[in-house]
Amino acid sequence: MSTSITRKRRSNLRLWSWIGAAVLAVSAFLYGSVSGGQPQTNAERAHALADNFACPVCSGQSVAQSDASVARIIRREIRTWVDEGRTTDYIRSQLVADFGEDIDYTPSATGITSLVWILPVVGGAGAITGLFFVFRRWKLDADFEASAEDVALVDAARADLP
Amino acid sequence: MSNSILGSGAVSLGLAASITGMIVVAMGLANHRGSWKRETRWLVGIMTFAAIAAVVVMERALITRDFTVAYVAENGSSKTPALFNFATMWAALEGSILLWTLILTGYVVAVLVKFRDRHDDPMVGWAMLTLFVVTTFFFALMLGPANPFKSFNPPLGYDGPGPNPLLQNHVLMAFHPPVLYLGYVGFTVPFAFAISALVTGRVGEGWLLATRRWTVMAWGFLSLGIILGAWWSYETLGWGGYWAWDPVENASFLPWLTGTAFIHSVMVQERRGMLRVWNLSLVVSTFALTILGTFITRSGVLNSVHAFVESGIGPWILTFFALIVVVSLGLIAWRGDELRSPGRIDSPVSREGAFLANNVLFAAFAFVVLLGTIFPLIVEAVDGRSISVGNPYFDRMTMPIGFMLLFLMGIAPVLPWRKASSGVLSQRLIGPAWFGAAVVLFSVLVGARGWAPLLAFGLGGFAAGASGRQLILATRRQGWRGLVGRTNGGMIVHIGVILIAVAFAASNAYVRQDEFNLLPGDTATMSGHTLTFEGSTVIEYPNRTERVARIRIDGGQVYEPALATYPFAGQSINIPSVRSTAVDDIALSVLSYPEGTDDAVLLRATIQPMIVWLWIGGLVIAGGTLMAVVPGNRRRPTDPVSAPLEEVSV
Repeated sequence: MSTSITRKRRSNLRLWSWIGAAVLAVSAFLYGSVSGGQPQTNAERAHALADNFACPVCSGQSVAQSDASVARIIRREIRTWVDEGRTTDYIRSQLVADFGEDIDYTPSATGITSLVWILPVVGGAGAITGLFFVFRRWKLDADFEASAEDVALVDAARADLP
Repeated sequence: MSNSILGSGAVSLGLAASITGMIVVAMGLANHRGSWKRETRWLVGIMTFAAIAAVVVMERALITRDFTVAYVAENGSSKTPALFNFATMWAALEGSILLWTLILTGYVVAVLVKFRDRHDDPMVGWAMLTLFVVTTFFFALMLGPANPFKSFNPPLGYDGPGPNPLLQNHVLMAFHPPVLYLGYVGFTVPFAFAISALVTGRVGEGWLLATRRWTVMAWGFLSLGIILGAWWSYETLGWGGYWAWDPVENASFLPWLTGTAFIHSVMVQERRGMLRVWNLSLVVSTFALTILGTFITRSGVLNSVHAFVESGIGPWILTFFALIVVVSLGLIAWRGDELRSPGRIDSPVSREGAFLANNVLFAAFAFVVLLGTIFPLIVEAVDGRSISVGNPYFDRMTMPIGFMLLFLMGIAPVLPWRKASSGVLSQRLIGPAWFGAAVVLFSVLVGARGWAPLLAFGLGGFAAGASGRQLILATRRQGWRGLVGRTNGGMIVHIGVILIAVAFAASNAYVRQDEFNLLPGDTATMSGHTLTFEGSTVIEYPNRTERVARIRIDGGQVYEPALATYPFAGQSINIPSVRSTAVDDIALSVLSYPEGTDDAVLLRATIQPMIVWLWIGGLVIAGGTLMAVVPGNRRRPTDPVSAPLEEVSV
């Protein structure tokens, strides 16, 4: 009787502990996510944008990474646009118009390039669906009645346990 | 005798020994006799001697600046410092293939020694045959399109340009490629045994057990090699970053992803006899991806800052890659029925369920990285357009997968095999959950903001709590032996991976970068730090001229980023200087010294938190890998491996 009460008390304590951990984590997370901290400066926004475009004369380096003079010029241009309050879309269209589509590290979501976005999502959905059906089949296969012989075997094994 | 002739002779000898080895082992297997073992020992010995001799000849040619060897003429220089001159062997295409071959022959010797008592076993025989096929390919490359010993007729007084300047300004260049190759090449051994298992029809757990430690060691070397590469990139390229989703970086990451999936899924097959096809596919994919990576790095098909010069090696490697895929798939299809697993997973909420989910996520991760890497080629082939896929795509697509993997790293270590009850989960996860919550709270209190980094920190804390719990329980029971063995070593590796994930999230979310035009005495302020330019100095070295800027940070120590000019290479590069602390790094690099100004400097400063934890995480992974290959306490056969009986539905 007392063991059962202790077990119940422990279970309740654990439940409250889980609630406490969840409240702490969620409230801290929401505060940190919503309050946003200091706004991004123009320099920071310009740097983040420069990392989204390929240096037109380099091998595999972004505008933010490259030391090439053209990359430096583009960085300065981006900074000017950011200081003028231009939108990201405006900056993207200007750079694509000046240097071609391959300056943009973000593939377009239209036409054939949309496949790079769609295929992983379709593949992921397919994998999850496949797993769902596999587990369902395994579960259905497992739903059988234990025979009296099976139960006797298990009882014997449990009786042997220390 | 000239180095060209000696080197070519050594490579020819290695190729002859490899081909003979292939024939001898194949005939031995066909005649069902184990007599191939004595000849094989000799042939492996000759092949290894040939590889070592070729490397010695190349180093001799580099050290003596023998410009009659074309490789030395193109990559060596009398001005290159000794360490980098030694490392020049792997600074360009042909030498890197030579290093690959040396390491491969080393692994073949190790296999021969390890399985010395099982040479009559067809499983070992077929594995040796596969290894000989791979060594033959690499020796053949060195006599074909990647010949490191081509001769050259240098004009009088000729001196070479030396290796790419970026490859001779940091000591990590001497270590990063060999360690990476130890990882890449190491996966040849499990691949060889997988092929052997398919051919012999012994597709049970034997080949997995035989190659378990080989796989873990190869994985550990690959992990360390990638981290060293990131560190090298951070310390030398001067853009303040360490990972750019560059095709060559992705090429090393792809086998790491599939290799990681394999290391986890292999445990399901060992315990439950399941996932046979999947495990074979993973080990084949891992090896095939190392070859595909070699193609991407060396064929010049994709733009990369790390790529070697374009060469004719591409079609050879692509053909070998196709051969690996076709033969492996053919064998898997041939053994189709025998690969069907007898078991099933009782519940998704179980250790094996978590491993399955982990594998789906790693496969998805690898698919995204592979697709993003080769997609520009696909688009160009289909409609002739030139596009780029970079940071924004990879960050957006891989971030959710990374979060899910962190979550699984927290759950999986506490899950029992077969099935877990909610009571067990609740009891085992409460500690990690509190640790995760405390990490989120701490992060917010110290000023971290934004949902993505906070989620990464919280999940990282949760996963670290689960790994720490396992280690504490194990060391309480077994003392120091609680830190060794696959499970406990694996938990140490988890902690290393978590450190890297958290540092990656923090450094990417809170990076600050700006450029400053400074005159001597000027001070720039950035994110609470002051950078004072105290002037510049010109220093002459035998191979370069450096103009060093002296920058005092926060009124304390002076740091000296420089702009180096290598006259022989006709190239200028910046040499960054980094102040590292446990909290943040300040990376300084000189972009230029503007002409027409009085000693001014254009300085780039990058401030990122937690960078040093990336490298510490790499060391923890290396340490954990070593612990994982040390045999732990053997489980007593009577010990329960699943949830208590009363919690399992009968």
